[in-house]
Amino acid sequence: MTDLANQIITGLSIASILLLVSLGLAIIYGVMGVINLAHGDFLMLGAYAVWLMESALGLGFLPCLVMVFFIVGAIGWLVERTLIRHLYGRPLDTILATWGIGIILQQAIRLSAGAQLRYVKMPDYLVNPLHLLGLDISAYRLLIFSVTIVLVAVTYILIFHTSFGIRLRAVMQNAEIARCFGINNARIYSLTFAYGAGLAGLAGALVSPLKSVSPDMGTNYVVDAFLVVVSGGVQSLFGTVASAGIIGELSGGFAYFWNDTLARALLFFLVVVLIRFRPQGIFAMPLRRG
Amino acid sequence: MRRIFISRGHIIGYAAFALAILVVPLFIDDPYLLNKLARYLIFGILAAALALSWGYTGILNLGQAVSFGLGSYCMAMTLKLHTIPIQTGAAGLPDFMVWNNVKSLPWFWEPFHSTAFAVVAGVAFPVVVALLLGWFVFRARVTGVYVSIITLAMLVVVNLVIVDQQRFTGGFNGLTDLADLKLFGIDFDPYSSATYYLIALSLLATLMIGELVVRSKTGLIMQAIRDDETRVRYFGYDVARYQIFAFCVSAGLSGFAGMLYAMVMAFASPTFLSVQISLSIVIWCAVGGRESLIGSALGAILVTGIQGGLSETPAFLNTWMLIMGALFVAVVLFLPKGLISIVQLGMARLAGKKISALTEDEAPLPRGHKLGIG
Repeated sequence: MTDLANQIITGLSIASILLLVSLGLAIIYGVMGVINLAHGDFLMLGAYAVWLMESALGLGFLPCLVMVFFIVGAIGWLVERTLIRHLYGRPLDTILATWGIGIILQQAIRLSAGAQLRYVKMPDYLVNPLHLLGLDISAYRLLIFSVTIVLVAVTYILIFHTSFGIRLRAVMQNAEIARCFGINNARIYSLTFAYGAGLAGLAGALVSPLKSVSPDMGTNYVVDAFLVVVSGGVQSLFGTVASAGIIGELSGGFAYFWNDTLARALLFFLVVVLIRFRPQGIFAMPLRRG
Repeated sequence: MRRIFISRGHIIGYAAFALAILVVPLFIDDPYLLNKLARYLIFGILAAALALSWGYTGILNLGQAVSFGLGSYCMAMTLKLHTIPIQTGAAGLPDFMVWNNVKSLPWFWEPFHSTAFAVVAGVAFPVVVALLLGWFVFRARVTGVYVSIITLAMLVVVNLVIVDQQRFTGGFNGLTDLADLKLFGIDFDPYSSATYYLIALSLLATLMIGELVVRSKTGLIMQAIRDDETRVRYFGYDVARYQIFAFCVSAGLSGFAGMLYAMVMAFASPTFLSVQISLSIVIWCAVGGRESLIGSALGAILVTGIQGGLSETPAFLNTWMLIMGALFVAVVLFLPKGLISIVQLGMARLAGKKISALTEDEAPLPRGHKLGIG
């Protein structure tokens, strides 16, 4: 029984990291139709930002998180203003451009911070596990879990309960008509991109104490995030949350029986089979057109 | 029979290219350099294969390296079994299997005792994988960026599995210490001109196959699908079938390139299926000209040639990647049809025609968001 409970908690913990990583990707795709291949590299930037602030400036972990969101968000905003905005209407080219940006970011980090692995220290007060309901739960994973919930809630409120959200949804539904009503599309796009990038940076900051920080750390995370986005359907926040949950639990479960790699291969296979029969994702209604 | 239209400029271009790559060995007696040039030509095959699916059919395959890597492993497996002394260990096993406590040769290694089987498998295996993925993806009418991220995800997954299954694949080190390929009494030493000619002829054959495909009726429909998939569907064509066809041809050619690469490098490793290689293929295509087979091939030879010339010093390699990234972004932004479009423009000027280097349909459109989000 505790075995099963532990397994569920492991799955939830994987799911919350997945959701954290895919949230920004899904928002950018949902609003702008842009798959941001530099997402993993924004994540990497976030991790490096924490490492730098912690080791060079001696900042605490939690203040770092807030700073990272704005730093990486600003970089995302800059990228959108200078490059991405020239490529709307050319979806394949946006993939390429963001991929190019990804390489540039990766190499810039490799040249400046070095290619060796870096480590971010987990804050002392989060190292010891907590005892909840008779189970030992890692306090740090609990932090990730709660931050994820807060971010999803913030995103939900942002989209559905602010005037920015109304404009954002208008642009999502029909960019042309939205513009006719005086909405500044360019501004919505750049802010959305910045928000998505900021979320990626935050995700990177949060995973940095769990694993080593390296220039190419983003790739693995972002591939899982693709699977979440593809299977969840991008239009709904709920789809992303639910599919991150399902994929997290499944990969935790598969990994329990085999190993991480085979779990991933099996998941990929399942997702490909899934899109054959439900190309629009599990939770979205309209048909997907890349 | 539809007349296949080929302009004079095209024929001259191809003839000059064929001549150039075929006479090169006559002037080079450094086997190391010849080996390097052969590698560049293999990259040319890969780039032309991607041009077929991306430039002509609109399928941006970010997992091209899967086909390449599978082809290279097929070749490496047979060459591994032909090494002399054949094997280490009592049961006659490849060395890494002995190290990993594998007791007998796994069933899927058995047929690779036959070189003929390996050569067929090196093309057929990637094609079957592409066929399966293509059937699932294209039949579901998933297109565009989704195909790209699914192929990229597949690349990462396949790479992880190969590294993970160390017992059967040699894991991180891959298959090393391979024999030379011996076919029809010729020993294809990686540093010999025989290997170079084999590769040069393969590249030319690839370009010919590609030109035949894109100039056939099927090729025209492929290009129509690239430009407007929905319209082609309304004309009654089975869009998915053409997409799967292009995807599979591209995969088969890449698998073949992979086999050649395993021969030339004398090893096969998971780096052949890395995101880095896939990315490079896309860059070569974009730089050379994605809508031209020979343009893509030249792009690959040019870019890897410059890279090979400059990155002899490892310190430069990182800077090189930075430059590549910037070049890539610049080409995507300003020269969507690649360098070959400049050549074509020049040739058209000479012929007194007016053609724009940038396509008329690639101007940034107002955001009509046909993503099914509304």
